[in-house]
Amino acid sequence: MLIKDQTSEVDVHLGDADRIFRSIKALSQSDGRWRYSSNNPESSTYAAGIALETVAGLISLASSEIDHSLVATIKNDIMKLFDGVERYDDGACYFDEKFVDAHGHQDPLSASSSVVRGITAFATATEESLNLPGDKIMGLAKFFLGVEIPGSAKDLYHQIDALACLGNSRVSVPLILSLPATVLSVSRKDQLKVRVNTVLGSSAPPLSVKLMQIFSSGSKDASVIDQELKFDPDHAVHVLETLPKNIDVGKYIFSFEISLQDPEHKKRYITGGRTKVPIYITGLIEVNNAEIAVLDSDIGSIEMQKKLDLSGENDVALLANHLQKLRLSFQLTTPSGKAFKPHQAFLKLRHESGVEHIFVVGDSGKKFEIILDFLGLVEKFFYLSGKYDIQLTVGDFVMENSFLRSLGHVELDLPDAPEKAARPPPQLVDSYSRYGPKAEIIHIFRSPEKRPPRELSLAFLGFVLLPFIGFFAGLLYLRVNLKNLPRSTVPATFAFLFHLGIASVLLLYALFWFKLDLFTTLKALGILGIFLMFVGHRTLSHLASVSAKLKSA
Amino acid sequence: MAGRKFLTISLLMLNLLSLLPLLTVSFSPDHPTDRRILVLLDDLALKSSHSIFFTSLQFRGFDLDFKLADDPSIAVKRYGQYLYDGLILFSPSTDRFGGSLDLEGVLDFVDSGHDLILAADVSASDLIRSVAAECGVDFDEDPSAMVIDHTGYSVSQIEGDHTLIAADDFVQSDVILGSTKIEAPVLFKGTGHSLNPGNSLALKVLSASSSAYAANPASKLSNPPSLTGTAVSLVSVVQARNNARIIISGSLDLFSNRLFRSAVQKVGSSYKYEKSGNEQFVTELSKWVFHERGHLKAVNLKHNKVEGTEEPSMYRINDDLEFSVEIFEWAGSSWVPYVADDVQVQFYMMSPYVLKTLSTNQKGLYHTSFKVPDAYGVFQFKVEYQRLGYTSLSLSKQIPVRPFRHNEYERFITTAFPYYGASFSMMAGFFIFSIVYLYNK
Repeated sequence: MLIKDQTSEVDVHLGDADRIFRSIKALSQSDGRWRYSSNNPESSTYAAGIALETVAGLISLASSEIDHSLVATIKNDIMKLFDGVERYDDGACYFDEKFVDAHGHQDPLSASSSVVRGITAFATATEESLNLPGDKIMGLAKFFLGVEIPGSAKDLYHQIDALACLGNSRVSVPLILSLPATVLSVSRKDQLKVRVNTVLGSSAPPLSVKLMQIFSSGSKDASVIDQELKFDPDHAVHVLETLPKNIDVGKYIFSFEISLQDPEHKKRYITGGRTKVPIYITGLIEVNNAEIAVLDSDIGSIEMQKKLDLSGENDVALLANHLQKLRLSFQLTTPSGKAFKPHQAFLKLRHESGVEHIFVVGDSGKKFEIILDFLGLVEKFFYLSGKYDIQLTVGDFVMENSFLRSLGHVELDLPDAPEKAARPPPQLVDSYSRYGPKAEIIHIFRSPEKRPPRELSLAFLGFVLLPFIGFFAGLLYLRVNLKNLPRSTVPATFAFLFHLGIASVLLLYALFWFKLDLFTTLKALGILGIFLMFVGHRTLSHLASVSAKLKSA
Repeated sequence: MAGRKFLTISLLMLNLLSLLPLLTVSFSPDHPTDRRILVLLDDLALKSSHSIFFTSLQFRGFDLDFKLADDPSIAVKRYGQYLYDGLILFSPSTDRFGGSLDLEGVLDFVDSGHDLILAADVSASDLIRSVAAECGVDFDEDPSAMVIDHTGYSVSQIEGDHTLIAADDFVQSDVILGSTKIEAPVLFKGTGHSLNPGNSLALKVLSASSSAYAANPASKLSNPPSLTGTAVSLVSVVQARNNARIIISGSLDLFSNRLFRSAVQKVGSSYKYEKSGNEQFVTELSKWVFHERGHLKAVNLKHNKVEGTEEPSMYRINDDLEFSVEIFEWAGSSWVPYVADDVQVQFYMMSPYVLKTLSTNQKGLYHTSFKVPDAYGVFQFKVEYQRLGYTSLSLSKQIPVRPFRHNEYERFITTAFPYYGASFSMMAGFFIFSIVYLYNK
């Protein structure tokens, strides 16, 4: 039922324009939204925008046939739609969808841009003015400008189309006040510049910008300035030549007001009342009279004092024990000479094992001072004595020369920890060392037992063989002879075999020692033993008979 | 008519059957890169304001499923099976997730080996902070604290509170951050967190400088803040023991189009970079967290005696043996050989007896040879490889080691020669004596 007709040049005669109008109107809901079709019971803001565009097209094509009362009802619908507009905290307004259809979410960007298109087309078609609330139009403009980088080509189309509609339409045109720079440096003598344009950047009608009030953050009071900015036609910016006198470095909120010079333009353009812009005025802060000292606790006398130059690195070496105090003091002044309180003023003491302690340096009116009483800090320092590196960090949003300086080190001598004292917290192990390869391990083999040297063993071999030689010598000494050897063949053979058998058994033993195993040895021994028994019996019986004959004879 | 019906039905069945193999092409040990990712957002505008990040993920082949964080249809698990391989939580201010997902569900998801990208921001909800705390990362106790750095902020004409930080303190790791150095600093705006020093699984990828601290910019400081200096981590990663990877970032803007496209000039330096390092940083980190890089597998652990080729069932002490293992790295779509010079093997029984660095043939094969120690018992070949940013490898193979058999000792010992001499001289003496005694007169 949605007919998109873009052909406004062609003179199309739409019969039954009235009926079409009424049928479109029938789809509208009470809260100003429209339904997509009579079949779909859910309402959609996107559909509302499309419906308004269609109605505008209808009116432009066949304006004579449309009943004007119906046009008035459409205007009411638009008002109701605007009542449902949603707001962000910073004043931006947008139209949101409440339901999910099969295609996924119809996000607020496309819904709002379709509504803006619809309203603009309707206003152009009806040539009547719609009394839309100016702040809501301004809010819609802020919303579209707030989409900084659109995610897709479709989003970009929605954004730019909506801004173009807002820029040159018969609906009121919002004027946007913007500052190219909100951080100004007193030291560099920056000037405050303000630009006023329409939403897509085209130039505004002649107007003047006034700085009305300055609020300083943190305090409720505001100074009323009412100073007009000078218009620079070359760059189309309004410039504040000099900052008001009593503005020092700090965070402020400047309140501007746009006033249109032509009263006619007041109907067409929306200025948005007072615009508040946060401004940071920064400058170089001077650091003076910095000194560090070690004091004796009770008396307060100075043991060691060193002057510090905080514009560069320092390297002082101090000694202290737990009965003394450490004092650091310095002064900070702004470019206009007043005392300055930075947001961050830390003194950090870092032990060589990595344990760190941080203290806030407080101020006492004119100067910043911190006194570390080691007597009370002994437990906090976990009783760790040794070298502590001192570091001072001073910084603030408006300080252009915030610094982190290493001041040197102090050798602290603290008493020993009692048994129940807290252990210092474990320090972060360097991850690179944790993940590296481990040291190689080579197994050390057990060294073999110590053996006596070879020569010693051979010498003992010689000693062992000595008795054998001695045995031979003894035998010779005893004049042994082999007279009893049998002469006749048979006993001689047996005797020979007997001694051969003994020799072979001894040889078998030697062979067994060298390489044989017990089974073969026992087998061979069995065979040899039987042979030896037979032969030995014959020999020994022959010898016995010979000696018996000798005895009986 | 019936024939045509039959034909259409059979064609339909055929088509459905051919789809079945596709359903199995998802996260699996052979194909470790994630495919389907659930993205939970606070606000659908994030889809367009962070579109460069999301389209780069989709371009690399990931299936992103965008849902609002309190959408009642959120479900990561159905019938015991996980529907997604990865989770991106870009919803710092959500108090409750919709559907069936809650803190327990997110932790179970990570415990089962899946990956997570979590972005917190200023005023993060307790739910997000407790998810981070369970992963080992502690956010600042004050939810409205932002990281402020007065000597490391990004110079800007329109932002005067130094909360937009230009950070360039990266972790030195080619696996996590890619081999190209990130030249431009990374822009960061959000909260900081710290890691417990005892946690060996978490790692700081982007740390703050030593002058940074976490505090509420609008309030004055009377006590020193709890997070200061380089202990403040801006982006950390955690690699769990089951190789699930988690990125925890303190800023959602780190991933946004606006910071991707901004120019950066750090205060104190005169060089202005045209484009911040955010896009390169985030892209390389996302490649690491979704296992496109740095995922190792080790296969084919083999050992054998120096002379033989098959694996023996037992070694003897003082044997010479050879050991080899193959290690591959997943390169996004296929396994490529992993080349390193610090893979080590341990020969272990209660404590390592031998620990040796393996030499490589540059094609993923690592080998070495050594002598079996002279202690006997049941040993294990252990390869335990843990490097920064890589998944941990832990393989072991058991092998018994026996002592010498009785016949494997030294046969003849010089020290025993006197004893040999004694026996043999005894035998010779007996022989001579038997002759002499029998035939002597």
